[in-house]
Amino acid sequence: MKARAHYDREWRTGWAFAAPGLALLAVVMGFPLAYSVLMAISSLTLLKPGLFPLVGLDNFATLFSDRLFWGALLLTIRYSAVTVIGEFVLGLAIALMLKRAVRMRPVYFGLLTIPMAMSPISVALIWKMLLQPNLGIVNHLLETAGLPRVDWLGNADLALSTMAFVDIWQQTSFVVLLLAAGLAALPQEPYEAAEVDGASAFQQFIYITLPMLRPVAGIAIIIQLINEFRTYDLPYVLTRGGPGTSTEVLSYFAYRKAFLGLSLNQGAAAAFCLLVIILALTVVFFLRLERAEAAGRNAP
Amino acid sequence: MTSSAWKRTLAASLLAATALATSAVTGRAADITLRALMEDVPETRIIEALLPEFTEKTGIKVEFEKIGYPDMHDKLVTQLVSAESAYNLLEVDFLWAGEFPAANWLVDLKPMADASKFDTAPFIPSMLDLLGRTADKMPLVPMYNYSMGLIYRTDLISDEKLKAAYKQETGKDLALPQTLEDYVAIAKFMKAKAGVEGAAMQGQRGDPNAMEFSNYLFSAGGRYLNDDRTVALDSPEARKALDLYVDNIKNGAQQGALSATLDDTLRLMCSGKAFSMVTYWWMLPQIDDAKACPAAAGKVALSVMPGGHGESGGWGWGIPANVPEDQQKAAWTFIQWVQSKEIAVKRALQGHAPVRSDVFADPAVLAKYPFYKTAEAVVASGKSFPIFTYSAEFENVLGTQISTAASGGTSTDEAVKASAAGLKDLMSR
Repeated sequence: MKARAHYDREWRTGWAFAAPGLALLAVVMGFPLAYSVLMAISSLTLLKPGLFPLVGLDNFATLFSDRLFWGALLLTIRYSAVTVIGEFVLGLAIALMLKRAVRMRPVYFGLLTIPMAMSPISVALIWKMLLQPNLGIVNHLLETAGLPRVDWLGNADLALSTMAFVDIWQQTSFVVLLLAAGLAALPQEPYEAAEVDGASAFQQFIYITLPMLRPVAGIAIIIQLINEFRTYDLPYVLTRGGPGTSTEVLSYFAYRKAFLGLSLNQGAAAAFCLLVIILALTVVFFLRLERAEAAGRNAP
Repeated sequence: MTSSAWKRTLAASLLAATALATSAVTGRAADITLRALMEDVPETRIIEALLPEFTEKTGIKVEFEKIGYPDMHDKLVTQLVSAESAYNLLEVDFLWAGEFPAANWLVDLKPMADASKFDTAPFIPSMLDLLGRTADKMPLVPMYNYSMGLIYRTDLISDEKLKAAYKQETGKDLALPQTLEDYVAIAKFMKAKAGVEGAAMQGQRGDPNAMEFSNYLFSAGGRYLNDDRTVALDSPEARKALDLYVDNIKNGAQQGALSATLDDTLRLMCSGKAFSMVTYWWMLPQIDDAKACPAAAGKVALSVMPGGHGESGGWGWGIPANVPEDQQKAAWTFIQWVQSKEIAVKRALQGHAPVRSDVFADPAVLAKYPFYKTAEAVVASGKSFPIFTYSAEFENVLGTQISTAASGGTSTDEAVKASAAGLKDLMSR
């Protein structure tokens, strides 16, 4: 009986402490989320600013019958895959090099955080100037080296890769920092044992470093996947989704529907689809995190 | 209290009350700050330089927030749908002249104009019509026009060696083109033989390429809408226009034309590395400026678009419905001032693109800018992009199709069909 009363008191106290935070969360996160869902099933446009009548899943049906939506979705998946792979491979290589660097390591880390600290809009504007085909410095350097000028953003076959390159340039440093922290935390004993057994550096990397780094690497990949799925700033500044629709990712598609097409409801529906994908990735992220923690706890 | 003391007290009170009332009135005017989101173009800077004159005269302060065109629509819409707009004076593109009034975001300026006896007679009628003026309503007052024409290099077109080479190659004289086919042929020739880009083109998807293509369409004899406002875009003229547009992008224009905007084309023309550009006529004084563009100044001229018709456009002043009445009144005071003949002439002497015929005819303006005669012809011969509620979205639909065709993603025939279908769909909403 006493224990029960104690439990009830604790329960009430716990809720009393959590309530302000939960209320704040409900206001700043719950309300916008619920409102966006409501928008996605409403008849709200910029010209008729009323949510009612609700139209059920009509906006989603319209969206799913639009081939541009599917094009944007596939493009987003392709773009995210390319950028995340690029960032991970490059990030891992740099993190490994930094692990071996003895001198000036803080300077390298300091330099690496510069792109990360810049806003994506600034990054896009800077690269737009650098890649300007006729007056940009990149093509000028190519010409100086006797190479032909390249139409970086005006060529439909190249524009997405160029955008991915700019993204990788900015985002890799985050992956580097994450992986470098993971590498620093790896125990030294397995390496010492491998040395005794005569394993080469490559073998140590494949059979020790990569498996032990897997939890951190997984987390890095998932965080970046979420980031890349949300990419909006780069296509907005660099290409406006063009040439044609060659760089129209899902977030830009949603913006276009909402603000150029004046259909806030369809824009919200497209954004909701994006949210579902990101939510699924986030769930995977937390499951991975939990598994990584469990693996850490169970380690001998 | 004696009688004289009473009188003194009364006089002092009256004086104090008068002073208080005066300060309240002047204080109110001084308190109002008009804020407008403006496109970052020469026209804005011309007006900005005159703002101290307005503030001195009325006590009303004016602040311009200058940004690039592509960001303007979204920023304005966000404010116009909010409870109270941060901008209490609006610069509205003619492409939004269907959308903004339809959404009830603008105050009707006709009652204000009637009450203040604002004379609209000197305004070029087509400019008022372009901005949605009807017998009963006037959502916008014309601010400046941006009809489009051809700016070309006179030194290259009159170069004897190039003339001989062109004659030998085509059998024709190298001269100011009279048709769209001739223009594209000359642009391609210049790129191949003159060591410059034949055309500085703004092919980025959306407003840039939709506006540019409209010139090709009108030049080829095509149109967007019939007189009864049914869609007329799916036509042989439109196909011809798009074929020539794509040909010029591929063979006459600068590298990167498909991602280029107005700024890119201006820089290219200014650097002396291009023969021509289809652009807004008021770009001429910017390029013909020995300080800013020494490589091109003195070697450029303006003409009506080959074929006789180009795209006609313009900006207007509007007042948002979601701002307090005193701010609306202050905005109207500003509009009357800035579009008065006196200020319009002052602006024109700095390169303003007039919307009043009396400014085009002003002797001082013509003495400084003789090419304003040609500019008036460009304005008079211009045709309009379809103006309706979803004009901005149609620009995007059309721009996407043009861009896809120019990058080889679809045929010009398919692109014209899809654009026409898109226009029909949007107009039926």
